[in-house]
Amino acid sequence: MREPESQGQQITPEEGWQSIHATLDRSRTSMYVAGWTTITLLWGAIVAVGYLCMYAIEEFAPGFAADYAWYPGPLWLGLTVPGMVGSSLIGHRASKRNATGPSATAAGLRVFGFWIAVVAAAFVVPAASGLWNGDSDGLAISGVAIGIIALGYVLFGIMHHAAIALVGVGIAAAFYVPAHFAGDAAPVLSAVLILALVAVAWAWIRRSGAA
Amino acid sequence: MSEAPVVLNETVHQSTRLRIMTLLVSQSESDRVAYGFIQRTLGLTGGNLTIHLRKLEDAGYVNTTKEFLASKPRTWVEATPEGRRAFAEYLGNLERALGMPLR
Repeated sequence: MREPESQGQQITPEEGWQSIHATLDRSRTSMYVAGWTTITLLWGAIVAVGYLCMYAIEEFAPGFAADYAWYPGPLWLGLTVPGMVGSSLIGHRASKRNATGPSATAAGLRVFGFWIAVVAAAFVVPAASGLWNGDSDGLAISGVAIGIIALGYVLFGIMHHAAIALVGVGIAAAFYVPAHFAGDAAPVLSAVLILALVAVAWAWIRRSGAA
Repeated sequence: MSEAPVVLNETVHQSTRLRIMTLLVSQSESDRVAYGFIQRTLGLTGGNLTIHLRKLEDAGYVNTTKEFLASKPRTWVEATPEGRRAFAEYLGNLERALGMPLR
């Protein structure tokens, strides 16, 4: 006699073995990407605000932009720190909603440690390269920093969710392509591209049920 | 002399219950997992998950507890020590059935 649908199907030992491994992968991914849909939106907004601020300064205060060409460095630093704090809080709350106990805490700490390392590298590498000085073009600092942040997304995505890796590629493309081809309109174009990108990624991750 | 045939625990060896048990047992012993997390991660309907959790609970393999967090009801699920033992035994039998080590 066939079991009702709600009782599920009988499986072979091979299917059981595959099911165990697939579930372990999926469960780990879901734990690590907890809160990612909200975090992705937060960073989309932060990056868009950063680009729009740059556009506004270049457009309405060209004297300031010329005198303090390194201003994008502190601007992005000022936006990244609250972004990191916000991401940590969102991730922590999301993992607490998913599970309680050492496994959830360990997953949250690993993710937090990963992103702290990425953001630290985004500031240390330009400094070690000698870009943090009064003569440097601020765009070079933000170009290096955004490249490292994008790499962080790609590496995290390779480990946990393809959508996150694509967000990393998209962040890099949204910065570097307009910077080369769009002239003064580059910051606005980058802001729009980033917002579109996070909206698509948000929908994708949400639909996959991972976060 | 031929070996005795491997008998897989019928409560665990079922597609949905196996996935539920795998998810629960992969957490630390003191971990509790949210009902909604299991549902989202395994892509199950609420009704389906409830039916299978009841079956696992009847076997003594899982515990469910309800709590209110910020006035919202939340259901937590955890594998019992007996459930962990049954799952470990199931893995051993599955290895024998497949004729290879799984870990």
